[in-house]
Amino acid sequence: MLEHFHVPEEDKVFIRREDLLKTTTDIFLAMGMPQEDAELAANGLITADIRGCETHGVSNMLRNYIQQFNDGKMNPTPNWKIIRETSAVATIEADSSHGLVMCQRAMDIAIEKAKKVGIGAVTIQNSTHAGMMAYHSMRAMEHDMIGYAITGGGAIMVPTYGAEPRLGSVPHTWAVPAGKMPPFVLDISSSSVAANKIGLLRRTGAKLLPGLLAEDDGTPIMDERDVPEQANLLPWGSTRELGSHKGYGMAVIGQVFTGILSSGIFGLSDPPGNSSQFVAAFSIDAFRDVAEFKDSMDDFLTFLVETPPAKGHDRVVYAGLPEHEETEVRERDGIPLHREVVEWFDAATEDLKLERLGRG
Amino acid sequence: MLEHFHVPEEDEVRIMPDALRKTVNELFLKIGFSKQDAWQATDVLLLSDTRGVDTHGVSNMMRNYIRMVAEGFVNPTPNWTITRETATTANVDCDRGLGIAVIPQVMKLAIEKARETGIGAITMSNGRHAGMIAYHAMMALPHDMIGYAITAGGQGMSPTFGAEPRLAPNPHAWAVPTDKEPPFVLDISSSSLAMNKLTLLRRMNALTIPGVMAESDGTPIMDEREVPDDAYVLPNGGTRELGSHKGYGLSAAAQIFAGILSDGAFGPNDGGHMSHFVAAYSVEAFADLHRFKSSMDDFLQYLADTPPAPGHDRVYYAGLMEHEESIDRHERGIPLHHEVVEWFDSATDEFDLTPLER
Repeated sequence: MLEHFHVPEEDKVFIRREDLLKTTTDIFLAMGMPQEDAELAANGLITADIRGCETHGVSNMLRNYIQQFNDGKMNPTPNWKIIRETSAVATIEADSSHGLVMCQRAMDIAIEKAKKVGIGAVTIQNSTHAGMMAYHSMRAMEHDMIGYAITGGGAIMVPTYGAEPRLGSVPHTWAVPAGKMPPFVLDISSSSVAANKIGLLRRTGAKLLPGLLAEDDGTPIMDERDVPEQANLLPWGSTRELGSHKGYGMAVIGQVFTGILSSGIFGLSDPPGNSSQFVAAFSIDAFRDVAEFKDSMDDFLTFLVETPPAKGHDRVVYAGLPEHEETEVRERDGIPLHREVVEWFDAATEDLKLERLGRG
Repeated sequence: MLEHFHVPEEDEVRIMPDALRKTVNELFLKIGFSKQDAWQATDVLLLSDTRGVDTHGVSNMMRNYIRMVAEGFVNPTPNWTITRETATTANVDCDRGLGIAVIPQVMKLAIEKARETGIGAITMSNGRHAGMIAYHAMMALPHDMIGYAITAGGQGMSPTFGAEPRLAPNPHAWAVPTDKEPPFVLDISSSSLAMNKLTLLRRMNALTIPGVMAESDGTPIMDEREVPDDAYVLPNGGTRELGSHKGYGLSAAAQIFAGILSDGAFGPNDGGHMSHFVAAYSVEAFADLHRFKSSMDDFLQYLADTPPAPGHDRVYYAGLMEHEESIDRHERGIPLHHEVVEWFDSATDEFDLTPLER
């Protein structure tokens, strides 16, 4: 994540992973989720925070999830079911499950299928927010599989040349195991900035960068200014000349695999917040010897990080490497939360009559 | 394709698709392709040219293919083999066969697997140029499947923050069937600019586009000037702030699915060793086919109906413009640069073939 989006030094409170995991699990339990589901959901949020993807960690998401449980949009005890199935694929009706839990369960189904036939893919309808999508693709790695996950739904991004938001920012994520090198984990929204980052900019009082948002009439905002109250995201690429049709296209194909394939939905959902996902697992062994594959991955990733850096930069990284390094730092030093977030935790635990967030 | 890349009106010669098909097919036969492979390779090139994807049509590619066969780099009679296989997957050694002849045959196998299990996915090593990869993805459409294709190999694009090209702008393509609307066909390179477009810009003496390519030390070129000989392309997004790490990441993911999973190559590719990956997803395995197709129509109409931003008269979706272009080019012919037509005349002369019909 760009420096621009991090919590300013003077506002940071460091919280240990275990403390954050415990309180977050407690909150999900208080929402009525069964133990195992609460742990899966909490672990998804903390995985985002520990990797430095705070846009999808507790700070932005947890209060939002509580609201959705209270409004009845998220079902803490869903009765999800497989409504269509073959040896390699399945379609799931999620019964308003928390997406963070549903996608983990769906990925387990995909992994089981991939063990038997080489690939497993599951499309999910009637689900809700699924957190950091890399959490789900990464689940395949310990089985020596490549994981893939997409979440769709919503209308916050304009199509190229469009003046009205008609797509979500629909992230695609791939997770690929390596040998000695940290795994390749790519998690990219189809918009030029994740929607959550705009919220983060507002909270930290930072300026809007050029090329991220569109004016009300669809014109790309190409200068630096205060974050507008109401604005739509631009597709990745910002303008047609710089390739915004690629971000637009990635959002459409993501929506096809999630919403259209699972239930034929797109655009503003009813009720709002309803979303769809797609997860897949590709068994490496079905294509190539696993040990040899991992050696090749190490060679490839090493080749990339050894690229001579351009002027003004001290090194070249690959997707998943900075997050891996950040994890080591945060395991040691704790997770830096904005003090406002810690205050929110204290208010929430008091409200729910839970133990206060540990400051370990 | 942006107007910037089209053949200037005064330089164009319109050739009818059937005439071009005949000559291209004859050329492939002359360089040793089997009847089937020649037909297949010609079909891929013609689809590019009729859809307006000139970068991957006969103009840039035909002379390259002839040279690669003459140099012994492309095997005109490949005996491609399956080295590993499961119910949903396979790994194929392409035996240096040209991608536009081999990949469609492999895609047929992926479609067969998807018919049985729901999905078929095949990785390919030791391949050669794939042509317009949308072709391979689009093969799934008549089978009511979603098609996916990747090709990877070579070095023309720097990683984000890098000063040396270590990846190619490896493209991903998806094709999705519809009921009445033209199908959704997305074919995107991981860079702002396909490598072939650099060639095209040079041939047309057009200027650089700011923010899409870098000088040899990695500095982005942010002005309009002649295309330098040693320029390479930046990942789509241009800068990290505008998301170049996404283009870099998509290129690396393509390299993994095509090149690493197949035991192919990455980095230096000896002038064109390529790896490929194709997949087919059977719609029927996931959903009711009729409902899916009519939902696709609704979704694509919803996108095309978006009110346009100032300065634009309509909103497209991927594949729509190419579909419309295809109708026009079947009626009015394919606009080739006169230099390309001259090249055809010298090639047919050399190979003792009838000249390209005007």
